[in-house]
Amino acid sequence: MATKPKIRELLEESACSHNKTKKTSCNAPTPGATTGGCAFEGAQISLFPYADAAHLVHGPITCLAASWETRATKTSHTGRDFTQMGFTTDISNTDVVFGGEEKLLASIDYILKHYSPEAIFVYATCVTALIGDDIDAVCRQAAEKYGLPVVPVHAPGFVGSKNLGSRLGGEAALMHLIGTLEPETTTPFDINLIGEYNVTGDMWQYAHLLDELGIRILSTLSGDGRVRAIRSAHRARLNVIVCAKSLISLTRKMEEKYGIPHISLSFYGKRDTSAGLLAIAEALGDTDLIERTKRLIVREEAALEEKIAPYRALFRGKKAVLNTGGNKTWSIAAALQDLGIEVVATAVKKATEADREKAREVLGEKGVLMMNPGAEQARIIEERGAHLLLAGGRSLYTAIKKGIAFADVNQEKKKSYGGYNGLLNLAEDLKNALENPVFKNVAKRAPWEK
Amino acid sequence: MGEISHRNTKPLQVNPFKLSQPMGATLAFLGVDRCMPLMHGAMGCTSFTKVYTTRHFCEPIAIQTTAVTDITAILDGGDTSIVESVKNITAKVSPSLIGLHSTGLTETKGDDLRAVAAQVDFPLVYVNTPDYEGGLESGWALAARALIEQLVEATEAIDDDKVVLLPHVSLTPIEVEKIKDFIAAFGYDVLALPDLSTSLDGHLGEKQAALSSGGIEVEQIRTLGDAGLVVSVGDSMRACAEALQKKNPFMRHRHFSHLSGLEETDALAAWLLAETGRECPPEAIVRWRRRLQDAMLDGHFSLGQTRILAVGEPDQLAGLCHSLHEAGAKVTVAISTIDSPQLEKIPAGRVLVGDLEDAENLGDAYDLIIGNGHCEALAHRLHKALVLRGFPNWEEVGNPLKQDVLYEGGAFFLCECANAAEKMRRHG
Ligand code: SF4
Repeated sequence: MATKPKIRELLEESACSHNKTKKTSCNAPTPGATTGGCAFEGAQISLFPYADAAHLVHGPITCLAASWETRATKTSHTGRDFTQMGFTTDISNTDVVFGGEEKLLASIDYILKHYSPEAIFVYATCVTALIGDDIDAVCRQAAEKYGLPVVPVHAPGFVGSKNLGSRLGGEAALMHLIGTLEPETTTPFDINLIGEYNVTGDMWQYAHLLDELGIRILSTLSGDGRVRAIRSAHRARLNVIVCAKSLISLTRKMEEKYGIPHISLSFYGKRDTSAGLLAIAEALGDTDLIERTKRLIVREEAALEEKIAPYRALFRGKKAVLNTGGNKTWSIAAALQDLGIEVVATAVKKATEADREKAREVLGEKGVLMMNPGAEQARIIEERGAHLLLAGGRSLYTAIKKGIAFADVNQEKKKSYGGYNGLLNLAEDLKNALENPVFKNVAKRAPWEK
Repeated sequence: MGEISHRNTKPLQVNPFKLSQPMGATLAFLGVDRCMPLMHGAMGCTSFTKVYTTRHFCEPIAIQTTAVTDITAILDGGDTSIVESVKNITAKVSPSLIGLHSTGLTETKGDDLRAVAAQVDFPLVYVNTPDYEGGLESGWALAARALIEQLVEATEAIDDDKVVLLPHVSLTPIEVEKIKDFIAAFGYDVLALPDLSTSLDGHLGEKQAALSSGGIEVEQIRTLGDAGLVVSVGDSMRACAEALQKKNPFMRHRHFSHLSGLEETDALAAWLLAETGRECPPEAIVRWRRRLQDAMLDGHFSLGQTRILAVGEPDQLAGLCHSLHEAGAKVTVAISTIDSPQLEKIPAGRVLVGDLEDAENLGDAYDLIIGNGHCEALAHRLHKALVLRGFPNWEEVGNPLKQDVLYEGGAFFLCECANAAEKMRRHG
């Protein structure tokens, strides 16, 4: 059986509001005018946080050499942490000519012998997909030989964007892992977290609250993930999509196949975290649970308010411009508002239709949705008298030129801004930015400059 | 010298520190003023390269992709995607040059870059850099050679004051600047190709990453042919020097395997003295030589009892290992990304082509690690001292300012290694 998912079907995912307007909008790069990751990167991102699985990249050196140890997907796994390791067949000229299947099989043998992971994900990449290596056959052979999941992931870079790749990664988990093992026990409050990758430990900012409420995270796709857990994910009562829209087709299919309903929410900022917790309780439909959740929210918000109070005084009257992408366009904006900062503009150039709608909702009528932030942001900072620019490193000079504070929100490694406590991290970082003299100092002219 | 293995003996790489040819070529093109590197492949390679280099240099990085898709991978011979790319790039910015380089994907499907380049009505240099061959160092060298072969005009005129410096990929921006200054101190005009010293160092983020700024100018490359002397540093750059000499039979060439440590810097100084007929180098150089000797003495006690693992690109490894060897340090293991004639010359107990798993398995053989940012986790796990060198390094800022070459850099380097080793001995 060929396990290649149908890409067209995934692209036209009906549950993705992005696709109502443009059918294949997720997949049309323009030569010479495109930035952004490939499908392979997306697939790796969505599966990589399984710390007890080895991730074997079947391709030349580019694909893995430039991607291992780049994401701070934290894990509580006590064995060797495979999220911080890189495995690649590093195929050479000879493999391109004669095929790389033998090398792939030998590599799988090597990994099992030296590292004994719970599973192996095998990623096809551009070159190995083009030369036609049959990774399905190799994986099947290895899985039979060793009696553990060896999962082919068909997301070579050229099939499309990072976003599509994440879907393909989810698809591989659905096809080869989910439903292959029964959980030891089940509870009425078992949930799966989908699309939460635990970057910088985001998940741990709220997981303990779920735990306190008696809501059990049965499995994750894939933050702090374990192979055994995802194999039994089909027994959950609810799928909770955290932020990322990219895995919505996976949850729809799980709904069809296993009857698991899903909800979509975010854990950024105070309001979203509270709303998210309540949404989970309500979806699980237990009145007692809902009551307990409401009480917990009241308690947590009060504790947070107390800690935020000193920052609030500092942030009063402060205005910010936000230039980032995806769901961050509104989730960080909402978090800023929770701190008492007015968000005068946010960039929606790299956002989906749904994210744009949401950004409009969060910012209100007065807020500017920037379609071309590179050109617009300097003007808006001036017109609105903003004090703070939150953006990627490239915008630093705009902030310096305007003499305002700058915070980098696009760095690969940063502190977690998730959950209630993450908001305190954000507040502390913004306080430091606002108080930091460096922005004024680097803008100073030399004595010999006019 | 110890045992040398030129080949990786495993079926795979585990924790690789090798990087790809296209990435090396990108860096080389970034050393040309107002150049747009254009990577011919699917978009991920370019995106990875951009993020990677941005984080390492903390500078905006200009680069574009031909964004090959599953459809163009099958139907297009490269013509459409490349020609489209050039059109789209030049609609937004006006580069002085486009640096077209291939990837494994487009090499596998057999795109003919030369033929497509001939159709493009815009200054463009092309180079074949499959990522299933070579590595960062060879990609850089191939691109540098393509710049020479396709841009430099042939001539028979000679300007005796003009020197062309060909640095290998691992020399940092400040190292290139220091070597240029060293030679210039003898009265020469020095041009480096590629030149990262003026393009990837200290831009204050003032330019949006539309195009590279700084670096050697295209016009300067065109007229490199009349230089009296060409100096290549690193064995990967030898072929570039030969290509340049083909442009002018009267140009003379001096090669250095590296420019680290006392002996090689002495060789450079001696040669420059002979060329210029001077008795003595400028005073600053004389003083730095004494400081290096002083640092060798000051550090020898600590270094003499330190066993070192060095990992890196071949040319860089050769320099670091020689410099350490002169001061009495024992490099017990040297691991190279790829094979190179340099491996034969590296003074180390064991020299191999490999990955960081090999480094881990040989953990008993060393106390101090010198290598790129991936070595931090390794050093932490094995409780070793660490000096971060090479590409990438996201753990520290200031990569473009790190210098290990010539008398001056050598002095700083030995002190840093000795201090790292002592600190480890004090604190376990
Ligand atoms: S585009 Fe293809 S070759 Fe490049 S990194 Fe992605 S999968 Fe690898």
